[in-house]
Amino acid sequence: MRERMYIQAARALSAQNGFMDDALPSLLTEPVDNLFYFPTIDYSRWFSIMQLRRMSRLTRAGMAVAIETLRDAALDKPDAIITGTGKGSLGDTEKFMESVRVHVEGTLNPSPFIQSTYNALNGLIGLHQDVDSYNTTYVHRGFSLEHAIQDAQLLFHEGAAANALVGSVEEMTAEHFGIKKKLGYWKTAPVRREDILTDQQPGAVAGEGCFFFAFAKQPNDKTLATLRDLQLLFEPTSATLLQTIDDMLSAAHLAPADIDVVITGRNGDWRHDHYYDAVSALFPRATECCFKQLSGEFDTAAGFGLWLAAKMLSAPQEIPAAVARQGGAVSRPVKNLLMYNSYYGVQHSLYLLEGR
Amino acid sequence: MQTIFVTGMGIVSALGAGIEANRLALREQRSGLGTAQFIQSRLTPLLPVGEVPFSNESLSRLAGVTAGTQNRLVLLGLLAMREALGDGFAATQVSTGFINATSVGGMADVENIYTELINPDKPIANSAIGDSLDCAQGTEILARHFGIQQQIATVSTACSSSANAIGYGMRLLQAGVVDRVICGGSDTLTRFTLNGFNSLRNTDTALCLPFDENRNGLNLGEGAAYLVLETAKSLAATKRLPLGILSGYANYNEAFHPTAPSPDGKGAYEAMQGALRKAALSPEEISYVNAHGTATLNNDIAEAKAMLRLFPNGLPPFSSTKSYTGHTLAAAGAIEAVFSLLSILHSELYPTLRFNTPMIEAPIKAFLDVQEGVKVNHVLSSSFGFGGNNASLILSRYA
Repeated sequence: MRERMYIQAARALSAQNGFMDDALPSLLTEPVDNLFYFPTIDYSRWFSIMQLRRMSRLTRAGMAVAIETLRDAALDKPDAIITGTGKGSLGDTEKFMESVRVHVEGTLNPSPFIQSTYNALNGLIGLHQDVDSYNTTYVHRGFSLEHAIQDAQLLFHEGAAANALVGSVEEMTAEHFGIKKKLGYWKTAPVRREDILTDQQPGAVAGEGCFFFAFAKQPNDKTLATLRDLQLLFEPTSATLLQTIDDMLSAAHLAPADIDVVITGRNGDWRHDHYYDAVSALFPRATECCFKQLSGEFDTAAGFGLWLAAKMLSAPQEIPAAVARQGGAVSRPVKNLLMYNSYYGVQHSLYLLEGR
Repeated sequence: MQTIFVTGMGIVSALGAGIEANRLALREQRSGLGTAQFIQSRLTPLLPVGEVPFSNESLSRLAGVTAGTQNRLVLLGLLAMREALGDGFAATQVSTGFINATSVGGMADVENIYTELINPDKPIANSAIGDSLDCAQGTEILARHFGIQQQIATVSTACSSSANAIGYGMRLLQAGVVDRVICGGSDTLTRFTLNGFNSLRNTDTALCLPFDENRNGLNLGEGAAYLVLETAKSLAATKRLPLGILSGYANYNEAFHPTAPSPDGKGAYEAMQGALRKAALSPEEISYVNAHGTATLNNDIAEAKAMLRLFPNGLPPFSSTKSYTGHTLAAAGAIEAVFSLLSILHSELYPTLRFNTPMIEAPIKAFLDVQEGVKVNHVLSSSFGFGGNNASLILSRYA
């Protein structure tokens, strides 16, 4: 299925943007011990103290980003609410596990249990906007956001929806960082932001973030960018990966030289660089941009890349120095953009986007 | 709209491993609920559950894997999937996807080793288990085991997860994204979930009583079930025989409350109505309803009101098979889809166990004995979940 979908609004909350600015800041945040946390923002703008008392960190963040995305899109009641998350509200999961242990299965507060449910945020967004609609949640690591988008695409194809709120949320906790550290996910010695992509240790630098997008079946004057194609590959060979890109370009009647920007999900883990190198080499004319030196690596980090893509395509004069792989800001028109991301070489996604 | 054929099914539940064991228990009206033997929890003497009657060692033996290498979630999944796929399955024969569902992923095994996992000085011996505090790990182990490479996803919408997984699979087929898809779910009993539901005070200390005035909550269960769904194009290549047709699906969130359904059953009504619309069926054409019927105070009254509204000319026979299996959460939609297909294939309906007193507020009467020789054309099977996430499926007779 290669049907166009239109990105009407895109919002991000990451280590680099408290999203009130809705742009990359001039002063970039450094990781702390190989972990990029998103900042704590003042949530009283959206919620009362009573409401906040019942909301955990990721619930607050996810809700606020979702609400702002809908506001940007001037879409009060979306036809569908679809999210993707690798781990959901990890803090709540850990809190409830701990309370089961500490209270030896005694009388427990159910709040963290409820909010640990992967679809809890979806339901809360529906409640907040008073939207009774199609509503679902995908929980598949580096395919979570992608299946959420693909589901919206199916709804448009079926004529079941004209627009959809789609997003991803992820948080990293100290406890879970520790588990993943033992599993070899992270670099061991602390790395500075500017060295992440060239560091020689295996593993990545961790991150987290919330990203929401308003998608529409039809474009209008709010359209930021067009998503022309989205392909998912599970543990592909390099040949399959390159063939899939070839098929995507053919279907879109594009040649490699038509691609102005390639956003890659390079995370500084040399174990998977060969995929990125192979894709990058297909597009010698394109400017390669990277983002995980800003967001860190996590299940749904592609959300940061997609937000970045939407920004670049809607104001296509300059590629910020912070994301250009070769360093230095690049002035060039950005019309066609390919994003390629992989989560530890297992889930691979390809996004073909176009300026409006 | 393309016809979606069901060409395989497999199941593991408290009633046993395999279609035959499950059907036999249903026919004999034998509940799988009781005191847990395997899960270690202080709540097990207090709360009856629908535990799969095998230890992890026995499940490993049945699944043909070395004991200790895979977690309980994957072991249940392996058994149910192997049965659904049958002999001679080759993922490469036609483009094949895998849409799985779970509510807590590998939690059952993770919670037993968690203090070691978070101890920086203890190495992780088995990453298949150590890295399973999420939902995708199990899905991918299953996908690799059976060689499935396209459209791999995991859905988690609490109690409606596998109904939504089946629905997503159906939609992927109808849009031509893949030609065949294996859909279902796997969930295990965990201290996490037992304590979660217990803290919400909606678990019964006795055997659950769906749709009964004296119901007092649900019994949790565990299990896995999968369906093989194919298009006509796929059937031509695989030569598999249809067991039934997946004719309807709807997903509807009612946006009423984080955990409770609206008392008038709006969410349940809209999901069921939506599935009928998609199947282009009238309510009168439904032969039997496999209800969500958790036996919680809230669900059963809301669901009963929704059914009374959907079927103004009288309810078709309905039952809650959770009175046999317990509430298997993310696996429930798939398990109940399998039971629905059994009803269609064998022209028999399985009653709600222990039903005695109709609810005063919505007095609907469940049938008491196994009904045989009933021509079952269309079954409406519903799953209503936390967060207002409701989904309904319609399974229909093939030829």
